[in-house]
Amino acid sequence: MSKKYLRMTLNERIQHVNLFINFTILVITGFALKYPEAFWASPITDVPMGMTFRGLLHRLSGVAILTLGGYHLFYLVFTERGRGILWGMIPTLKDGSDLWETLKNNLFLNRPAKEIKMGRFNFREKFEYLGLIWGTIVMTVTGLILWFKTEWLQFFPMWTFDVARAIHFYEAILATLTIIVWHFYSVVFNPDVYPMNWAWITGQMTEHEMRLEHGIELERLKAQPKGDLTGFGEAAAAGGGRVYPPHPVEGEQVSPIRRLYGTIQGLNRGIKDWKGGA
Amino acid sequence: MGVLVFPGSRESTGVRKKRSGMMVKGVFVFLLLMVIFICPARGEDNEACLGCHQDEGLSKPGVRGQKVSLFVSQAEYSQSAHGKLSCSDCHTHIRDDAHAAGGTQAARDRVNCGGCHEKVAQAYRQSLHAKAITKGGERAAHCYDCHGKHAIYAAKDSKSMVNPTNIARTCNRCHSDKQLVKEHALGMGPTPGDLFKGSIHAMTGEVTCSSCHGSHDLRSQIDPKSSIFRSNIPHTCGECHPEIMKQFEESIHGVLAARGRSDSPTCTTCHGIHGIKAKVDPESPVNERRIALTTCPQCHAAERISKEYGITRTQVKSYYDSFHGLSYRGGDTFSANCASCHGVHDIRSSSDPKSMTHVDNLQKTCGACHPGASANFARGKIHTVASIKGEQLGEKIVGWVRVVYLVLIAAVIGGMTFFNFTDWLRKTIERKPS
Repeated sequence: MSKKYLRMTLNERIQHVNLFINFTILVITGFALKYPEAFWASPITDVPMGMTFRGLLHRLSGVAILTLGGYHLFYLVFTERGRGILWGMIPTLKDGSDLWETLKNNLFLNRPAKEIKMGRFNFREKFEYLGLIWGTIVMTVTGLILWFKTEWLQFFPMWTFDVARAIHFYEAILATLTIIVWHFYSVVFNPDVYPMNWAWITGQMTEHEMRLEHGIELERLKAQPKGDLTGFGEAAAAGGGRVYPPHPVEGEQVSPIRRLYGTIQGLNRGIKDWKGGA
Repeated sequence: MGVLVFPGSRESTGVRKKRSGMMVKGVFVFLLLMVIFICPARGEDNEACLGCHQDEGLSKPGVRGQKVSLFVSQAEYSQSAHGKLSCSDCHTHIRDDAHAAGGTQAARDRVNCGGCHEKVAQAYRQSLHAKAITKGGERAAHCYDCHGKHAIYAAKDSKSMVNPTNIARTCNRCHSDKQLVKEHALGMGPTPGDLFKGSIHAMTGEVTCSSCHGSHDLRSQIDPKSSIFRSNIPHTCGECHPEIMKQFEESIHGVLAARGRSDSPTCTTCHGIHGIKAKVDPESPVNERRIALTTCPQCHAAERISKEYGITRTQVKSYYDSFHGLSYRGGDTFSANCASCHGVHDIRSSSDPKSMTHVDNLQKTCGACHPGASANFARGKIHTVASIKGEQLGEKIVGWVRVVYLVLIAAVIGGMTFFNFTDWLRKTIERKPS
C-alpha cells in the first residue's frame, strides 16, 4: 500500500461537509424561489407553507454559512495550520504559468507533455477557494440587504434593493455552476481521481495523487524531518502516518466533545480501512 | 289542452321582490270577484267536467303521437290557489255542451291567465320567454311551465313550483335539459343549473334563479332593462350586497363599467356567474391562490385591453418576477398578491387620493405587511422591469447588472468547461490501452 499524506484534518473536513450541506440547501431553496414552477421545486411548492418554510431554511442556512465563514477566518488566523493554508492560497505568477502549461499539455502543444509540479494548493484550488471567498462576501452582503429590507430601505432607495436582488441571483448562478463545472471536475470527473477524491472523507491523498497535483508539496514533505509534524494530532508520524488520539485510559473522564470527536474518527478509520482493504 | 299565455305587467328590478306578494294580492282580489259574480254557476260546472276528467286513464294523442293525460286531480285542484274557481273560468272556450258534443277544437284554445292577472301578463309579454314564443317555434316557458296547470299554489306555499325553494328545480326543467340548452345555444358545458348547484348562493338557500334574473319580466342580457345587463349587474348584486356595491361603484372598475365600457369588469367578471363560490374555496376565481394567477391577469395581461387602455402588461410580468410574485407562484399565501396592495372592490387609480397605491398612502399599504416601513421604503418604483433601456435609473442599473453577469457567467463557466474538457480529453487519451 502506497504511502498516504494528510490533506484535510478532521476539523477541515467538518468545515467542508458543513459548507457542502448548507451550500446545497441554499442552492435548492434559493432557486426554488426563482423557478417555483420547476418540477424539482415541487417538494417545496406542493407542501402547505412550503414557500414560507423555504425562506426560513434559506436564511437559516445563510446564517450557518456566515457562521462557518467567521469560524474559518479564526481558523486561518489563529491556528498554525490555518496560517499555512492562508499563505498557501495566495496566488502567484507561477499559478498563471501552471495554468498555461496545463492548457498547452491538454491541447498537445507540449510534446511530450510537460510535468508540472505544483505547491500545496494548485491553481485550480486557489481559483476555487478565492472564488468561494468572493462569492460568500457578495452573497452575504446582498442577502442581508434582502433580509433586512426595512432597515436598509430607511436609508437607501428602492432600486438598490432591486440591484441587490439581481446580484444575489446572478452570483448564485455563477457559484452553482462553478461548483458543478469546476469543483466536480476537480474531485470527481477528473480521470486522475475518478470516481472520487476521497480526501473529503478520509482526509488523505495517495502519493500518486500528491505527485500529480502537488509535486512541490510532496517533495517538501518528503524532505521534511518527521519531527516537524508534531503538534498536529492527526498528522503525527507514528503509525505510518495514520495516528489517532490515544484511547482514553481506563476510568479517565473524557469530555463529550472529545468522545464525539473520537466516534467520528472511529467511523473515519472504518471508511479508510475499508478502502485500504479493497 | 289549453295553452296559456301569461299575463302580467312590466316591473322594474327594484320592485321585483314584491312581485309574488302582488300576485297573491291579485289572486285574492280575483277570487273575491269570482266569489261575488261567478260562484253560483260553479258547482255543477266542475262536477260535469270532472265526471270525465277524474278518470286517470283519460288521454288524447299529442302532436308527436305521445299520450297526453287529460286527468285532473280534484283533490289537488281544490287545494290549489284556484281551487274555488270553476273550470270554465279559465277554460273559457269550453262551454259545457259544446265540449261534450266533441268540441275538441275548442279545448285547444288557450287558457288566458292574463284575463285576471293583467299586470303580470303585461310584464311577461316583455320577457325573453314571451318574445321567444312570439317569434315562434321555440320552446319557451308559458305561464303553466313555471306555475303548473291545475295544481297552482301561492308562491309562499312550499308546494308551489315558484316557491323560492323550488324555483331552481322549476327553471332547471328546461335550463338543465342538455337538448334544450344546446338548441338555444345556451352553452355546451355544464348547465347554469349544474353550476348554480355548487355555488355559495345555492348553499345559503336564500338566493335562487329569479333573485338575479327576475321572473315574469326576465329579460335578455342584451336588453338594457335587464337585471343582468352589463351595467345593471352591480345593482342586481347590490340588492343583497349593498356595501360592496357602494365600494365598487366608486372604484375605477365601477366607474368605467357604469359608463358602459364592456372591457371593464363587473361583479361577474371576477366572481363568476352561476357558480359563484366563497373566496375560501380553491375553485373560486377570487381565492387568494388564483387572484394573481388568473383573475386579474385575464384583463391586465391581455394584449387587446392593455393596448386599448394604455395599461401595460408589465404590471403582471414584473409582479411575477418580484419576490412577492415568485413566492406567490410557489404557493406562499403570506406573500402579497394584486389585492394586497391594490384593494379588492375599491380598486382606484393611483392618482386618486383614496387609492391604496396613491403616493401618500403607500407607506401605510406597505406597512400592513412590513411593520416599520419607512417613508423611504414606500418611495421607489415597484413594478420595475430590468432593462438597460429602462425608463428609470434602477431599472437601467439592474439591466446592466444582468448583462455584466451574463457575460461574466458565459466567460467564466465557458472557460472552465473548455479547460476541463481538454483536461479530460488528454487524460483519457493518455489512458488509452495501446
